[in-house]
Amino acid sequence: MSKNYNEKTITTDGQLMLKKAEKDQLETVWDRYEAQLPQCGYCEMGLSCRICNMGPCRVDPFGEGPQKGVCGADADIIVARNLGRMVASGAASHSDHGRDLVEVLEAVAEGKAPGYHINDEEKLKRVAGEYGIDIDGKDILKIAGELAHAMQEDYGTRKKSLTLLQRAPEARRKVWEKAGVTPRGIDRETSEMMHRTHMGVDNGWVSLLLQAVRNALSDGWGGSMIATDVSDILYGTPKPVQTSANMGVLKADHVNIVVHGHNPVVSEMILLACRDSDILAMAKSKGAAGINLAGLCCTGNELLMRHGVAMAGNHLMTELVIATGAVEMLFVDYQCIMPSLGNIAGCYHTKMISTSDKARFPNMEHHEFHPDNAADLAKILVRKAVENFENRGEVYIPVDPVPAVGGFSVEAIIGALGGTPEPLINAIKAGKIRGAVGVVGCNNPKIKHDYGHITLIKELIGNDILVVDTGCVAVATAKAGFKNSEAVQFAGPGLKEICGAIGVPPVLHMGSCVDNVRILVLASALADALGTDISALPLAGAAPEWYSEKAISIGVYAVASGIYTVLGPMPPITGSMNIVKLLTEGLNDVLGATFAVEPDPEKAALLIRKHIEKKRAGLGLDSRDIK
Amino acid sequence: MNYIIIGNGIAGIQAAETIRQMDSESGITMIGDETFSPYCRPMISLVLEGAIPPEKLAIRGEDFYEKLHIEPVLGNRVTNIDVADRQVIIDHRPKGGRKTCFSFDKLLIASGADARPIKAEGLNLKNIFYMRGRSDVLEMMETLAKAKSALVLGGGLVGFKAAYGMMKRGLEVTMLIKSGYPLSMQVDEPAGNLILKELVRHGLNVRVGAEVSSFEGDRHVTGAHLSDGSVIRCDMVVIGKGVLPSLSFVPRDRIKVDLGIMVDEHLETTSPGIYAAGDVAEYVDIARKTPWVNAIWPEAVNQGKLAGMNMAGRSVAYKGSLSRNVIRIFDMDVMTCGLFHPPDDSDHQVISEINPRKNLYRKLVFKNDTLVGMVMVNQIDQGGLFAALIQSETPIRIPKEAMLSPVFNYKQLL
Amino acid sequence: MKKVVVHPERCVGCMQCMVACATAHSRSGELFSAICEIPLPKPRIHVGVGLYGEGFPNRCRHCDPAPCMLACLPGAIYRNADFDTVMIDPDKCINCASCAMACPFGVIRYHEDIFAPMKKVVAVKCDNCIGRQAKGLIPACVEVCKSNALTFETSAEALKRKTNEVARTVSAEAGITAAAPGFNLLNAIKKTQNQLKAN
Repeated sequence: MSKNYNEKTITTDGQLMLKKAEKDQLETVWDRYEAQLPQCGYCEMGLSCRICNMGPCRVDPFGEGPQKGVCGADADIIVARNLGRMVASGAASHSDHGRDLVEVLEAVAEGKAPGYHINDEEKLKRVAGEYGIDIDGKDILKIAGELAHAMQEDYGTRKKSLTLLQRAPEARRKVWEKAGVTPRGIDRETSEMMHRTHMGVDNGWVSLLLQAVRNALSDGWGGSMIATDVSDILYGTPKPVQTSANMGVLKADHVNIVVHGHNPVVSEMILLACRDSDILAMAKSKGAAGINLAGLCCTGNELLMRHGVAMAGNHLMTELVIATGAVEMLFVDYQCIMPSLGNIAGCYHTKMISTSDKARFPNMEHHEFHPDNAADLAKILVRKAVENFENRGEVYIPVDPVPAVGGFSVEAIIGALGGTPEPLINAIKAGKIRGAVGVVGCNNPKIKHDYGHITLIKELIGNDILVVDTGCVAVATAKAGFKNSEAVQFAGPGLKEICGAIGVPPVLHMGSCVDNVRILVLASALADALGTDISALPLAGAAPEWYSEKAISIGVYAVASGIYTVLGPMPPITGSMNIVKLLTEGLNDVLGATFAVEPDPEKAALLIRKHIEKKRAGLGLDSRDIK
Repeated sequence: MNYIIIGNGIAGIQAAETIRQMDSESGITMIGDETFSPYCRPMISLVLEGAIPPEKLAIRGEDFYEKLHIEPVLGNRVTNIDVADRQVIIDHRPKGGRKTCFSFDKLLIASGADARPIKAEGLNLKNIFYMRGRSDVLEMMETLAKAKSALVLGGGLVGFKAAYGMMKRGLEVTMLIKSGYPLSMQVDEPAGNLILKELVRHGLNVRVGAEVSSFEGDRHVTGAHLSDGSVIRCDMVVIGKGVLPSLSFVPRDRIKVDLGIMVDEHLETTSPGIYAAGDVAEYVDIARKTPWVNAIWPEAVNQGKLAGMNMAGRSVAYKGSLSRNVIRIFDMDVMTCGLFHPPDDSDHQVISEINPRKNLYRKLVFKNDTLVGMVMVNQIDQGGLFAALIQSETPIRIPKEAMLSPVFNYKQLL
Repeated sequence: MKKVVVHPERCVGCMQCMVACATAHSRSGELFSAICEIPLPKPRIHVGVGLYGEGFPNRCRHCDPAPCMLACLPGAIYRNADFDTVMIDPDKCINCASCAMACPFGVIRYHEDIFAPMKKVVAVKCDNCIGRQAKGLIPACVEVCKSNALTFETSAEALKRKTNEVARTVSAEAGITAAAPGFNLLNAIKKTQNQLKAN
C-alpha cells in the first residue's frame, strides 16, 4: 500500500487510520483493490455473460473476436441482461429489508415482539389510510396488523399496481403507464427480472431495460418506501437532532459498541440495551464511564435520524474503525458488510457478532435476532461487550468528532418550513435557491474516498443549490462540517439566507439508503404544489462514489421518477453504445429524465447546474447561463 | 594480425569469441594464470555452499581454445609489457623451451583483480583463505570437512558469500565487519539491516567495528586476536576485504592507470592498440558519472565483447559501467543498482517505501528526472526495468511514486 | 516465421492468456486437473496493470541479442534457432536471478516447474510454446485471446496491417471511427478516476 494516504481519502481520520492499519499490517479494501488490477475489461463493459452453462461467453468490443454468446445474444442483450440482474439484486435487497420490518410490525400487532412497539401512531394511521384501511375506532395494534397484511400484499402477485404509487404526481403515474413500467408487486418484479434474464426469454435490450425500470420502481415506490414508513411507525419519524461524526465519536473511557448493516430491527434493540440501567451499572463497575453506541453505514444512519446516535464512518471506513482498538463489540446484520471484517477483528479484542439468519460472515460469532428474542438477546450480548472492556489493548482514536445536525424526514423538513412546502417553493421561485439535489450512494476505492461527495456538494451549495443527502454521503458531509452551525459559510448567498432564516444547515441529512424514498416523497410534494410533474422541477440526483447493486436500483428509480441523475463511476454498460445512448439520452423521451456519468465532481457539478437552470427556464423561472 | 589477450576470465573469453567471429584468420593468444577450462567465478560460492559440484562451474568446454584456434598459455602471469616493441613478457618456467615473450599487434589486458591483502601477524598459518578463484574454494572444501567454526573478515560480497556458504554447511560463523551492516557497498542501511536480521536469525554471529591484529595457532589457525583485545576461536578464516585490479605488470608511464586501467569509450587505453576490459578496467560509471571500477560479471561480459569488436576493427562505443548486484539470502532477495547512496543535494531525490506486511522494501534515487540508483528487497523480478532505466538514462515522465508499488510493471512506462 | 505479436491497445485485462499459458505448461494440459498439480503450473505471460487500470500482456520478447543470455552466469540461457526462441535450461539454472537484473521487461519468474528437476526453483519464462508449435498448434496465449491483443503472424503481416492502418488515417475522406467506442469511453472514465486521486 502506498504511503500516499491522501490519494486514498480526503478525510483526516481516514488518513491517520490508514497509517495505523499499515503499522498493524492489516489488509484493507484498498490493498485488495490494487491486487485485482487490471480488472477484466469484458466484465467492466458488461460484455461477459455467465447466465447459462453453454457459456461462459464474452463479446469482443473490437469487432474481430466473438460478437455473440453461444445462444446468439449480442452485446446489447448481454449488457442489458447483466444490468437487469444488478437491478434485481439491488431491489431485492431493499425490499427484503422492508419485508423484515413488515414482519416485525405484524409481530407487534400480535403481541409477539417484546421490546418493539408502535412509536408513531399518527403515521400508522396515515399510511393505513393510504392502504384503504378503515381506522375509525380501531385499536392501534389491529390497524398495525391490517397494515402489515396489506403491505405483504404489495409484495405479492395479486395486485396490478403498488399502493404507494399514489404518492407520486398523477402526471408521473401516467408516464409510467404509458411506458408500461407501473410496478405490480414487489417480489413479482424481481422475480420477473430473473425470469426475463434467463437464457432464451427476453432478448429485447429495450424491453429488458424497461423491466429493470419497473423492478427499480417496485423498490423505490415499494420495498424501500415500505421499509422507511414502517421504520418510522415502529421507531419514530425523525426530527431534527444533534449528533456527530467520524472516528472520534468512539470514546476512550467508555465501552464502545458499533452497529453496522442496515435494518433498525436489530440496531434499535441494541440501543435499548445500551441504555439499560443494570447494564450501565455493570459497565461503571468495570471502570467504564458509560456505554457508547456508534454507527457505521445505514443502520447507523437509522439510529442517527431517530436518536442522534453518532456515526463512526461510512463504507470504506468500516475496516478501519476496528483498528482503533477501541471497539468492544461490533454487530452486523446485512448488506455492505465486508467479509474481511472478522479477520481484521482477529488482530484486536473486538468481538464480531452476526445477527441475521440471512447473513453469515467468516470469523464472526452468530447470534440470530428475531422479533421474539431481539430485546433479550441484545441485552445478553451488550453485557458480553461490557465484559470485553477489560481486554482492550492499545487504543488509538486520533481525532475529535465533528458535530452535525440530522433527522430531516419529509415531515421534519415541512415542519421546519412552517407546516407547508411554501417557503421552499417561494425560495426556488425567487431564485434564492436555484434548485435541490439529492446526493446519495456509497464509497468506492475507484474514487478517492469522500472526494467525490465533498467536492460536488461544495460546488452545489456554493451555487445556491440545496443539497439533501443519505447513506454514506451523509456521513461524509457530516465529517466535513457541512451540517453544523457554521456550515452556512460554505453556502452561496441565497442558500445562506434561506437556511439561516429557517435554522437548518445547507445540507440536510435525510437518512439511510432506503430513506432515499423520502426524497421521492418530497419531490412529489413539490411537484403537486406546483401542479406539475417531478421531471419539470429543478432537481437532480448524484451518486459520485457508488459501488453497490442497490445504488443501481436507486439510480434507476430516481431517473424513472423524473430526476436527472449523475453517476461517478461508470456502470458496466460501455459494451453497448446503444444502451449508453438510451440511458444518457433516449430515456428523456420515455421517462423525462436521464443518467449522466462523470467521475470528476467539479464537472458533474457543472452538468447538474446546467440541468437545474434549464428546468428553471422550463418553469418560467429566472435562469442563469452556466459556462 | 596478432591478438594477445591477457587473462582467461569472462572478459577475455568474450573478447576472444568476438574477435574470432569477426576474424577467422588472425592469430589469438590467451595468457592466463588459471589452468581450468573457462569457468564462472561468481558461482564458486555455490560450490562452497554445496549447491553445485565443481564440475558445473565450467562455462566453456575443454576444447574451447582448440575450437577457436586460440593458442593458450596457461599457468602463467605476465610480468611486463614492452609497449614500444609490442611485446608481452611472462614468468619464465623452464619447461622444455617455453616461450617467454609474445608479440602483439593488438593487446587486450583482461587480467582481472586479485583479493586485497591485509596486514596481520600469523597470515602464514594454514586454513586462512582469500576466496577469489576455483582453486581457493577447492582448498576451502577440504578444510571445511573438519572445521567447526569459521571467522570471516569483511562484510562485502566475498566475505558475505563465504559466510553464507559456510553457514549452509553447518559451521558456526562469526563475521567481522567495519560498518554496521553487511554488504555496505552493495546496499543501503534499511536493506542492510534487514539482511543482518535475516542472517542473525539463522545463526550468524556478527562483530562490528573490530579488526584483526594477529592470528594464532600451531601450524593451523586456531584463533584471531582483535584490536579490542578479545580473541575469537576459529579453525578457518576467510578474508574478504575487496579486490584490487591486477596490473602490477602495466607500465604506468605508457598506460594511464588510476585504480584500474583507464580506457576510453572503445575500451582502448591511452596506448593505441592496447585495450582493457573486465575487473582491471576503469571507465565512467553511468550513475556516478565519474570513472569507476565496477568489478562485476555482467560488466566483464559486456566490456570483453565490446573490446573484442573494437579490436577486430568494428568501432563500437561503450556507454559506461553500472554497478549492480542480486543476491538471495535464505528467504530474502536483494537487488541493487547504480547510485543508491546519493549526495545530499537538491539535484538528487530519494523516495522509498517499506511494506512490513508483505516484507518488501524499495528505494529509488533520482537525479532530476532520471533514475540513478535503486535498492529492492524481495519481489525483485521487476528489477531489470530499473537497471535498464538507469543504464539508458531515460527521463522518467510518470509519477515517480508509481515506481515504488509492487504492481509497477513495464506497461506503466509506455 | 510466425511470431506472437502484442497489440497492447486491445488488451482488456481479462488474464485468460495467463490461465491458458499455465495450463499449457502443466502435466495434464487440462485446466481442472492442472490446478491440482504439484508443483502448481504458473503462467509465463503476465498481465500487468497500467497507470490508469488498463491491462497489458507482458511476455518475453525473445530479444536478439538477449540481455538475459549474456547475463546468465552458468550459461543456462540459449537460443533455439529453429523457432527463434530464447530458452532457459532448468538443469543448468542456478536461480541466481542475474537474468531478472538484466531483463528490461521483467518477464522472468522463479519457481518450481514440471520441466525442472523436482523441488528445484529455477528461472522460468515464455518458451513460445515450442512444444505446441512442434505439434502444429499455435501458442496458447494467442489461441485464447478473444480481443486479438495477441496474434500469431509474421512480422511482415503485422507490419503491413499497421502500415495500412496508418495509411488510412491519411485518406481525406476516411472518417476515423474508433475501433471500440465503448472501450475508449471506459478507459477515459478510468483515466479520470485515477488522475483525480492525485488532487
